[in-house]
Amino acid sequence: MTDLANFDFDSMTTAEFEQHLPELFASSDGGKVSEDQRLAGFLAKNPDCAALVRDLETIAETAKGLFEPDHEPSDAVWSKIATQLQHEPAELSADGDVDGSEDPTK
Amino acid sequence: MQTKPNAGLFKRNPPIAGEAEAIERAKNGDPDAFSKLYALHKRRVYTLCLRMLGNVSEAEDMTQEAFLHLFRKLGSFRGESAFSTWLHRLTVNLVLMHLRKKGLQLVSLEETINPSEEDAPKRDFGSRDTQLAGSVDRVTLERAVASLPPGYRMVFVLHDVEGFEHNEIATMLECSTGNSKSQLHKARLKLRELLRQPEQLPELESTREVMQ
Repeated sequence: MTDLANFDFDSMTTAEFEQHLPELFASSDGGKVSEDQRLAGFLAKNPDCAALVRDLETIAETAKGLFEPDHEPSDAVWSKIATQLQHEPAELSADGDVDGSEDPTK
Repeated sequence: MQTKPNAGLFKRNPPIAGEAEAIERAKNGDPDAFSKLYALHKRRVYTLCLRMLGNVSEAEDMTQEAFLHLFRKLGSFRGESAFSTWLHRLTVNLVLMHLRKKGLQLVSLEETINPSEEDAPKRDFGSRDTQLAGSVDRVTLERAVASLPPGYRMVFVLHDVEGFEHNEIATMLECSTGNSKSQLHKARLKLRELLRQPEQLPELESTREVMQ
């Protein structure tokens, strides 16, 4: 990915802005590119780019609200799980080497 | 063994009342405790599956798989991350394995999750006619996310909804961190396009909305 440490944002073209935007979002504090002081001058001179940043921030912010679940599985799902568990011996030993920070599917 | 929560890891997944006790009892084979864990987490797991798969039937099957896998692996949960986070990671990995079995197993996701030209976001990103009129409501965004090409949807859900970091997504999707960032950006650009004309977004397939 692009190294932006020594990049001259004041003379940036819109094409360069488009190229660097994914990294700018990824590296910005809380995904707030609009609050990145290095971009203040550029965004002030380019209202369409400022609007783009604002829209993408709105989308990302609204997406956080989707974390709370909206959907519920049918009752049949638990019925199938319960049936399966009746036929499956418990393997709940705590002797595995997988902790919460590792891949629990292994 | 009593779980020892790490407070720094619980930002979006605060402990749920009664959860820790249910985990310990379920580890000891208490079926009622496992039933309680299902009740506490079924909506979140199912919603995650539904968003990743976009299909009610498959989402229910994967929800079932996730909880059966949980039953088998619960003994290895040490409480070093939030239980929700642990369960989400388990679910995401199972869904990804499912998708690979369906046809993505021979090539990396990095190559296959890229959408066709017509699905890709248009490049006139800066023009005024693509700008959003204002705020976005979550129901409309949900419909727009469901309309995304699968690869875009996957990265967007994992990063912007579930809160995974790019390096975590890169590991899960077997792609580069840069690719994850790029896919996320394209997903947001595509959503911006879709949200400009919300009346053209299809209704969600799932109809069992939970009463708010």
